[in-house]
Parts: sequence; structure tokens; C-alpha cells
Amino acid sequence: MIIGLIFIFLGVTGIELVRAQEKRDFFKVGVVTSLSGELAFGGTVTKRGYDLWADTVNQLGGIEIEGKKYKVTLVYADDQSTPATAAVAGERLITQEHVDFVLGPYASGTTLALAPITEKYKIPHITGSAESPLIWKRKFKYTFGTIPTVSLIAQASIQTMARDVTPKPKTIAILGIDDAFSKFAAEAFKLAAEKEGIKVVKYEIVPEGSDYTPQVTAIKARNPDLFAMGSHEKAAIEMIKIAKELKFNPKAFIQHYGMTTPDFRKGLGKDANYVFGTSVWTPSMKHAATLLFKSPKEYADAFKAKFGDDPEYTNAGSTAAGIAFQEALRAIKAKPPLNQEQKDALVAALEKLNIMTFYGPIKFAAEGDFYHCNAGLQPVALQYQDGKLVEVGPGKLRVVAPKFPTPSWDKR
Amino acid sequence: MPLKNGHTQPHTSASPWRWALLGLALLIASLLPWTLSPLWIRIATEVIMWAGLAQSWNIIGGYTGYLSFGHGAFFGVGAYITGIAMLHLGWPFALGLLISGIAAALMAVIIGYPTLRLRGAYFAIATWAFGEMIRQIATILEITGGAFGMQLPAYLNLPFFYYLFLLVTGLTYLTTYLLLERSPFGYKLLAIREHEEAAEMVGVDTVIIKIKAFALSAFFPGVLGGIYAYWVTYIHPDSVLGAIITDFMVVMAFLGGIGSLWGPFLGAGLIQLVNRYLWLVWGEGTFYLIIIGAAICAVVLFIPSGIIGLLESRIFLPRASWKEIRKRVKW
Amino acid sequence: MELFLQTLIDGLLIGGLIIVVGIGFSLCFGVMHIVDFAVGEWVMLGAYTGFILVRYFGHDPMIYLPLVFLTFCALGWAIYPLIYRAISGKRHNPVLMGLVFTFTLSILAKGGALSVWGYHIQSITTWLSGKSLALGPLTIPALRFSGFLFGILITLLLMLFLYKTRLGITIRATAQDREMANLLGTDVKKVGALVYSLYAGITGMSGILIGALFSIHAAMGVKYCTLAFFVVVLAGMGYVPGVIIAGLILGLLQSFVGVYIGGRYNLVALFMVMYGVLLITPKGILRRGI
Repeated sequence: MIIGLIFIFLGVTGIELVRAQEKRDFFKVGVVTSLSGELAFGGTVTKRGYDLWADTVNQLGGIEIEGKKYKVTLVYADDQSTPATAAVAGERLITQEHVDFVLGPYASGTTLALAPITEKYKIPHITGSAESPLIWKRKFKYTFGTIPTVSLIAQASIQTMARDVTPKPKTIAILGIDDAFSKFAAEAFKLAAEKEGIKVVKYEIVPEGSDYTPQVTAIKARNPDLFAMGSHEKAAIEMIKIAKELKFNPKAFIQHYGMTTPDFRKGLGKDANYVFGTSVWTPSMKHAATLLFKSPKEYADAFKAKFGDDPEYTNAGSTAAGIAFQEALRAIKAKPPLNQEQKDALVAALEKLNIMTFYGPIKFAAEGDFYHCNAGLQPVALQYQDGKLVEVGPGKLRVVAPKFPTPSWDKR
Repeated sequence: MPLKNGHTQPHTSASPWRWALLGLALLIASLLPWTLSPLWIRIATEVIMWAGLAQSWNIIGGYTGYLSFGHGAFFGVGAYITGIAMLHLGWPFALGLLISGIAAALMAVIIGYPTLRLRGAYFAIATWAFGEMIRQIATILEITGGAFGMQLPAYLNLPFFYYLFLLVTGLTYLTTYLLLERSPFGYKLLAIREHEEAAEMVGVDTVIIKIKAFALSAFFPGVLGGIYAYWVTYIHPDSVLGAIITDFMVVMAFLGGIGSLWGPFLGAGLIQLVNRYLWLVWGEGTFYLIIIGAAICAVVLFIPSGIIGLLESRIFLPRASWKEIRKRVKW
Repeated sequence: MELFLQTLIDGLLIGGLIIVVGIGFSLCFGVMHIVDFAVGEWVMLGAYTGFILVRYFGHDPMIYLPLVFLTFCALGWAIYPLIYRAISGKRHNPVLMGLVFTFTLSILAKGGALSVWGYHIQSITTWLSGKSLALGPLTIPALRFSGFLFGILITLLLMLFLYKTRLGITIRATAQDREMANLLGTDVKKVGALVYSLYAGITGMSGILIGALFSIHAAMGVKYCTLAFFVVVLAGMGYVPGVIIAGLILGLLQSFVGVYIGGRYNLVALFMVMYGVLLITPKGILRRGI
């Protein structure tokens, strides 16, 4: 009964009054990401990317539309790392804060819950991070993503193994974690290996947080040439530690993007050397752009100045999402606040977008399994050499030759 | 009519003005979707769902005294079965819901038969283990989508879900009221909770009764889980089978007052609203965990009969209420 | 054959760790009938404490083991009165109160850890990390081996304490029959506090080892809570010597299932075993539990 009264009170304060379109001379951008909950580390990554974009744009005076500059304000809503809260967060940003468009969550699960909401309210939505192919399969009209799905990325390291090193490895063992992202990574490794003619001698998926010793023991017994880890960096760190303890010496350790994170470096120290990984972006790439950041190095410097850390590709992808919106807004000459017609025009402009940024090309696919995903970005294989990340392939994308085979643990 | 600590007696007939209050509350509840913004409709829906879940737990935990620490499994199973029914079998939503509820109840019977033999802490651990195992199984199986989760078709009609949740939660409370507060069944449960051996000696078939209670307490979460799946459209072993769901159920029932009829509702409302308010106001952070934790600690230490215990005394003995509160809140 | 032996060794070593986590927990339940839901959080806090100590003072984390033990003993001693209050007196249903209270403590600990340290995963290394002994074709990781030894050592010390000292006998008496012990002059409350602080100290210490072996993060507690439950159910609640056997069995189970069947079925197999034990021999496989 008391609760009922409380509800009335809240209802009154939250009543949706029909009001005229408010006057605003800045863009209100909603951001849904994991600021708390178990994915908060990832949420912070996207937050930094989005923040850097907004701050840099505002430092330049704002987004330039027809001669006048409009600043950008980010309104954050925490999805608490759960899909249900992501949906509520979306509702809040759209119906209460009346945002013009939305920058999306870190995780695929939360994105999947948010996408129907942005679809319902017809709000353009770009996620700078989520990589699950499931999102694109659903063909949400209003949702886009700047990071190519993991199934397109993972193959770069396998291709490098197959084509750029001697002797060519013949066998591979894959250990993946049972979560949405990692499992896809493991499957991507498997497909890529099979395509390149490398035999998969062991393919295992294990739950997160278990002790990986039995799995690594079993894999060691098969003596594969390559050991691929489909996981986030935490599990990979543990797997490599265990490999060292068990004196498991495959010719190469292959990870995915996790090895590009500072946590990976800090967690393993010297043991991180020789590990291969993939990324769609590194600070040393050679993209030349005109929008906001002229080169990856410029972005990396700005990022380091602001946050004290080196950026990794999810930061870059998030900032790129902002840039995509920026460009599309310029193309349709839309001024804030955006009405529905302008939002639809924004979506159309995003579909037609084909620009080069510090992050690489942004061109969202207009059809197919990767609908609205930035599928054109070329993944590159990386390796840790002497504590530094270098590009080693595949093919012409290499900057330094890969160090193969990996010396055994005693000899390091 | 003062109630003893722990609600050892079911309520006798409530005064008419209590019925009037209930009627008013229901009226307000049914009008809410017309007045609230979508955001608040969502939040209200969440509160109602949790009120139903907390009460379901209360049936086996509060009234019967068997602490099921894996109760969230029934919620998750309900969610997945509806998901599978709608996605893979193409069945209509209503049918999916029904099956979810029945399946959850059946699962409770199957699990309950061996585990309800255990007492106290053992039962808690066994059900806790059961809950975790179900989550693992959901991650492994193909049909559940495994670690990728399951996506249901989107049906974005907020008032629909609000009323549906209201209906099912209302049913939960009605059933609890009729079966547990107003019938011999409730007395038997009470007897089992207070002194099981004595109950057996008096002729109560404890095994059957316990299983019935357990199945009942599983049916509603099953249905609520099914609705939830359709409402949020994306489910995943961690989001619908995580231990946190059981945790919240227990904590809410506890805060409100276990073994009471309205306790879980109060507890659910308070905790979920505090949760959402902190989220809205603070925007981020894990601080609400600390606040909720501290609050429950305080409750355990000082007001074990929950808020209801606190309120009850005031309602029934307005004059001596201060004394009652002093007695109840043991400092 | 080699794989089998290696799996065997892996299993025994994992078992050693499991023993460490289960031992204090078993004692705690045996004496005070408290199922401490926060056992995983004690491990987590111990790990973070080790991390902080290494961060600010350097040296090998192993050096801090005694310090952490004492610190956590003190913490346990301080918290015990609250627990006692929660489970005692005219409270209705002490088991529930105890469970809920310790559960709440775990939420507080987790929330606190998250607020202070965030979600970054940390790790600590010792001089033993990465080293291993070779036994023919088999490899025995040094750190794991020392974890195993640590577990055995602590168990033996604890048993010595319980069976050969006056205080230990008092504790066991309290475990067997609290009322009687009370009547015979034991300060039950003090005994409880002692046991709880011992438990906190041991579990906190084990956190350092676990932190060195795996990674440290705020949510790591759940895994160890699970393991502790398993061990204690298998061993028989409150029966301390059983923890060794139970820990080893569980370690072997994990290892063999992981290698020969598949890591995904690991937890399921564990749960099934625990379930079976609870139903068939609820007093543990040696039938000496409470």
C-alpha cells in the first residue's frame, strides 16, 4: 500500500508531458555501457574511447554543420553488465533524456538487449565494441558497429602461421572459454586453421574460471605445433602461466585481441614475449586521415596524454564510432536536436558512409550476414617481441618478421 | 493482536480497512502504465517481478523453513523453456509460459524428493549446488544457445508485460494467501518449520507436504522467468541462471519479513527501487552492493523479523507501538 | 601412460589447494554450525592483501604469509561477535540467520573490493612461479607443489592442535555438544571466536598462494566457495581429517574429467558427485560428519 503511494509520487515526477521539441544547440549523445558489474573493465575501455572523441570534438569547438559548430554532450547510462539493465538504460536515455543518437555497449549480450530498444524508438546506434556475429545476423536497421566481428578477425594470425613462417606448422590445438566472445574466437581459429590446411588435433571449450591445468596437460600430450587460446586476456594469462609450469613448448602461442591489453603485459611480464595475436588497429599503423585525428600515432599520443595508458583497438573503435556519427551528421547537415526525419536520414547516411579515419576505413556493410558491421577493416597479426607489439603479417601487412618457432621456456 | 517474533501464527481475518487499502493499491497499480513514462513502467515491472520471485521463495524458505539457495534455477529454466518453445518449436507465448511453470514445478518435485530429506544447511548447500549445475548445463547445451545466449523475437509492448507480471505476481500472492495463510496446508507447513519431528508424530505427511510446497514455490518463478525472457528478448546463462537471482530473492524476502504475506513485496520494492534510484542518481559504481549489504547486515543483527515485523506492531498497537519496536529491534 | 601419471599428479596437486580452502571452513561448521558463505571472499581478501603488501613493500609474497595469517585472525576475531549475535539468542532459525549474514558479508566484501580495486585483474609472482621439477617425463610445477605441501602441513598442524592440546580438546568438545561444554565451564563464545579467527587466518593465507597461482580479481571468491562446499560435504561437515581425502578426491576428479572427458563437464561432474554424496551419505564418504 505504501509502495503504491510511492509509485504515484514517482509516476508524477516521471510523467511524460507532451512538450514541444526542446531547443538545444548541442548534440546530446546517449551512451550505454558497462560502468559497473563484471564487464566494467570493458565498459571503461569504451568510455575512454567515447570520452576522447567528445572532448577532442569539443576542443575544436564542436561538430561543424553548415558553418556553425555544435558541441557534443555525452549522457551516460550504466548497463550494470546485464542485458535487462541495458534495456532500461536505453529507455531512460531515449525517453527521458531525449538523446539524438546512442553510442553502444561494450559487450555483445548487452548490445543484443539494447538493439531492440533503439530499433523501437528509431534511434541511430553505433557500438564501438561489441563483436558477436549474432548482432549482425538480426539485421537491426538502426544498429551499427565499427569493429568487425570476431569471426572475421581471428584468421589473421592463423594465416600468418600458414603462409609466412617456416617450417609451416601442421597441427594446432585450440582451447577456448565458454563465453559468448571467446567461443566465437575459438571457432574462428578452428575454421581458419582448417581452411589453411592445419590439422586441429584438439579443440576444447571450458567454463570460465576453471583450472586449465588438465586441459593444457592433455594438449601437451598431443604435441601440437600451435596452441591457440580463444579467450579474454585473463584466461590467456593463466593458460600461459600453466604452460610454462608444465613446460609445454608449442612452436607458437596464439591469442586474440587480449594480448594487446596492458593487463596482459603486466600479468605476464617477460613471458608475454613471442605470443601472437590479432588486432584491427595498432598505434603504429599507417592510416592517414583528416577527421579529428590524422594518424594512429596522433590518437595514441592524445590517449596517453589523457589517460596515461596506451590505447588498444576497442578504444579506437569507440572513438571511431563517434567520428562516424560526426561525418554522417555533416553529410545530412542536421542540427540538434534531431527530429525523427533527421534520425532516419542519419541512418541512411551511415549506410552510405565510406571514410578513412585514424582507425582505418569505416564502411558498414549494407547486406548479408554482417549487416551494418564494419566488415572491411583488415585484421593484422601481431607478436610480442622484446616487450613490444609489432605487426608480423599476414603477407604484406608485416612490419617485422615473426619470430618462429618460439624458444622453449628454459631457453628464455 | 501482537504477533510473536517470526510470525509463528498465520494471520487471522484481516480488518476490512485492510481490504480497502489493498483494493486501492491494486487500482493504482493497474492505472500506472497510463501515467508513467516508459522508463518508470520498466522499473515498476521489475519491482513487480521481484515481488513475485521473493514471495515464491518465501513459500519454501519462509513458511516451510527450508532454505532453497538455488531457487533462481527455476526462474532460469522457465526463461529458457519459453525461449526454446517459442524459438525452436514455434509455439505461442502463452503455451510456452504454461509449460515453463509446469516444467519448473516438475523439476522441483524431482529434485525435491531426494533433497528435502536433508536439513538446514545441507539443504541450502544442495540446492545451491543444484542451481550452479543447472547454469553449467545451460552453458553446455546446444539448444539453449550455450554461451551465446538466446534471442527471442522482440515484442515491445511495455504495458502488456507490466500487466502480465502484475497478474502472475498477483496470483502468487493470492495463492500464498489462500493456501498458506488460510488453510490447513499452511498450518502443516508451519508445523514442519517449527518442529518437524513433532509434526510427523502428529500425523503430518511431511514428505508429501514439503514436495508440494517446493513445487508450488517453483511454479511461479518458472512462469515469471518465461515472461522475463520474452520481455528482455535476450537471455544468457549468467543473466537468468546466475546466483545473484537467488541472492536477491532471499535478501528481499528476508528484508521484508520472511514467513509473512507482504514482507517479500516490501523487500522487493525497497531493494529494487533503491537499486534503480542509486543507478539513476549516481549513474555508476558498485556502491549499491555495499549499501544493500550493509542494510541486510543491519536487518539480521537488529530486526530479524524484517520490516513487516516492525510495521505490524505499529499497526496493531498504535499506543504501545514504541514499546513493541523497542522490544523487536534488539539493541 | 605418461599422460595418466601426469594427470594423476596434476590432480593431487590441485587437491592440495582445495584442502587448504576447505580446512578452516570445515572446522568452522563443525564447531559453530555456521556455513560461511563468505569463505571465497576471505580468499579474495587474502589475495588482495598479499598483492598490496608486495606492491608497497616488495619482496616475495610468501614472506607475508605469517603476517597475513595474524591479520586475518584478528579480523575474524573482530567479526565473530557480530556473527554470534546473528545466530544466537531467541532468533528464529539460526541457520538461516547465519547463512544470510555470512552471505551479506560476502556481498560487502565483494562490493568493497570492487570499489577499491575495480575490475582490473592483478597477479603476483613468487620465486617459485614458473619453476618446476622434472620427474622423468613428468613435470611437477613448483608452486603448485608447495601449495600441496602447505595444505598438508596446515592440516597436520591443525589436527595436532585439535587432538593434542587442551584448547583443541575444548574446541572438539564444543563441537560435539555445545550445551554440555557450556555447562562444564567452557566459554563457548570465546571458543567460537577462536575457531572463526583461525579459519579466517588460514583461509586468508591460502589467498596469497591462490593469487600467485591464478589471478586476483574481486569476483574470484565464488569458485572457492564452490570448492569449499564440495570438500566439506564430501569430507563430512566438521570432520577435519576427512578434508585431506576429500580434497584429493576432488582434485583427481577435476583433473581426470578435464583431461579425458572435457573441461566443460568438469563442474557438472563435481556437482553430481557432491549431489550423490549428499543424498547417499550425507555425513560424508567416511561417515564421520556431523
